[in-house]
Amino acid sequence: MPAMLEVDQLSKRFGGLIAGDNICFSVQVGQIFGVIGPNGAGKTTLFNIIAGHLPPTAGRVLFEGRDITGHSSDRIGRSGIGRTFQAVHVFKNASVRENLRRAEVIALRHHPFAYLSRRKSARADQCEIAKAFGLADQMDSIAGALPYGLQKMLGVGMALMSSPKLLLMDEPVAGLNPSEKLAARDVIRRLRDDWGITILLVEHDMPLVMDLCDRILVVNHGKPIALGTPAEIRSNTEVIDAYLGEEYEFA
Amino acid sequence: MRKIAIGLVIALLATVPWIIGGRYAFHVATMITIMIPLALSINLTLKLGQLSLAQPAFMGIGAYTGALLTMHLGFPPVISILAGAAFAAAIALATGPIFLRIKGVYFVLLTYAFGQIINLIFQHWTSLLGGNNGLFGIPKFSIAGLNLGTIPGGYYALGLVVALTSYLALRLFETSDAGTICDSLNEDEMLCRSIGADAHAWRVAAFTLSAFIAGAAGGVYAFYIGFISPDTFGFQASVDLIVMNVIGGPTSALGPVLGAIIVVPLLELLRDARQYQLLVYGISLIFFVIYFKQGLVSVIERPRKLSNAGHA
Repeated sequence: MPAMLEVDQLSKRFGGLIAGDNICFSVQVGQIFGVIGPNGAGKTTLFNIIAGHLPPTAGRVLFEGRDITGHSSDRIGRSGIGRTFQAVHVFKNASVRENLRRAEVIALRHHPFAYLSRRKSARADQCEIAKAFGLADQMDSIAGALPYGLQKMLGVGMALMSSPKLLLMDEPVAGLNPSEKLAARDVIRRLRDDWGITILLVEHDMPLVMDLCDRILVVNHGKPIALGTPAEIRSNTEVIDAYLGEEYEFA
Repeated sequence: MRKIAIGLVIALLATVPWIIGGRYAFHVATMITIMIPLALSINLTLKLGQLSLAQPAFMGIGAYTGALLTMHLGFPPVISILAGAAFAAAIALATGPIFLRIKGVYFVLLTYAFGQIINLIFQHWTSLLGGNNGLFGIPKFSIAGLNLGTIPGGYYALGLVVALTSYLALRLFETSDAGTICDSLNEDEMLCRSIGADAHAWRVAAFTLSAFIAGAAGGVYAFYIGFISPDTFGFQASVDLIVMNVIGGPTSALGPVLGAIIVVPLLELLRDARQYQLLVYGISLIFFVIYFKQGLVSVIERPRKLSNAGHA
């Protein structure tokens, strides 16, 4: 059985700047996989390449064994990879219900020709999603007026409407307060345990990553410097030198 | 309740030309019914967050194609109009994938340039299209042996059918999944694409539909006037259509309809005094932009976005 996601010798150069240098890792089915690194380490570049926003300079990205390198972001969205955003992306003027409905409509009718085929029933139930993300009693609230944490949760719920097998999460707890962070951590865990979704997340928040992830990749200056379990990462001297020491105490 | 009332008022308005009678009333009314689909077609591109100045070109393509098919190949006018609209749509389908990659003011400029190129073809392909002298002697519209020219308001009735069909098509589009997706794309394309929306395909589809509607209106125009020349399909037509959308309100399909009902009679009244037309345009645009940003339609129905959020 192929890995859920395999990143094979991926490199990205912007002119002379190396934002990704020969990055290799694979995410197995059912894992929560974390990518960490200091600011400017190339995490976001890596994320954007996998999500289809940037073409790599070299290397391949395989999803369930199929090459998806250089596919557009919507094609990747259709092939079973969902994503959430660092900043909140929801339809701010619409209600929570309307947001979920729109996400469902988009997932079902991704292309005009999708009209030709009979409309399939929703794959993920709106109410179920709302309940799972603490939005059940906020269905009629305007999304833009919700607390930031709930807006982010709504974003996760909308990503689930396309029934992803793999969810890419770009700094899922950035901007959240401590209690929202804990709630988000539980939600991410439940995404894997209850919904069976494999997760790749890019995050700054070290305690969260250490707590949540099965495996962690550390990048610095575009280079992968360590790959392993949280325990291995914690004791890796190179990682501590590059990054962990100072930041870990902060957090 | 309100909607039914508006529908009734417009239905009553639609019968006015038969009550007044006379060629002039029918002429103005027919021109309104021809401009309604055109204003709706530009409204559809506005829904994509894009302002297309190519709609008069699509109208022209529909008009010339329709006229030529009947003049040279003897097609029945109904078939010619539909074929002209289909040809305009085909050109939108071919150019849309290129045009719609470009956004904002560059899209406006690109569609302006496209409109000018099409217009130059109308002007210089003299052997087929008659050049600046235009195309004469387009036969009268007849269907099932009935010549519309001989019936009082015959062309007006034809125009009403096309205008009503376009309006219903736009309403259907707005309220269906397609409308939801286009609104959503306009609001947050990155989000929509992450859920799998093929943004480009949807835009091309809407652009193609807008060209079909404009082409159909062009065909009706050609058979009604009986003569077409390039200047009808130039930049000024785009300005007229934009003014209709601003005055009527671009947020709902009813807006451009109201806009056409108000602007077309003005255009006809001021036909011989172009400078006053610009003056009236200027003053009314300033007035509407300041006091009725959402256009007349906002007086009748609340803007769609807000009402959606409120009820859903």
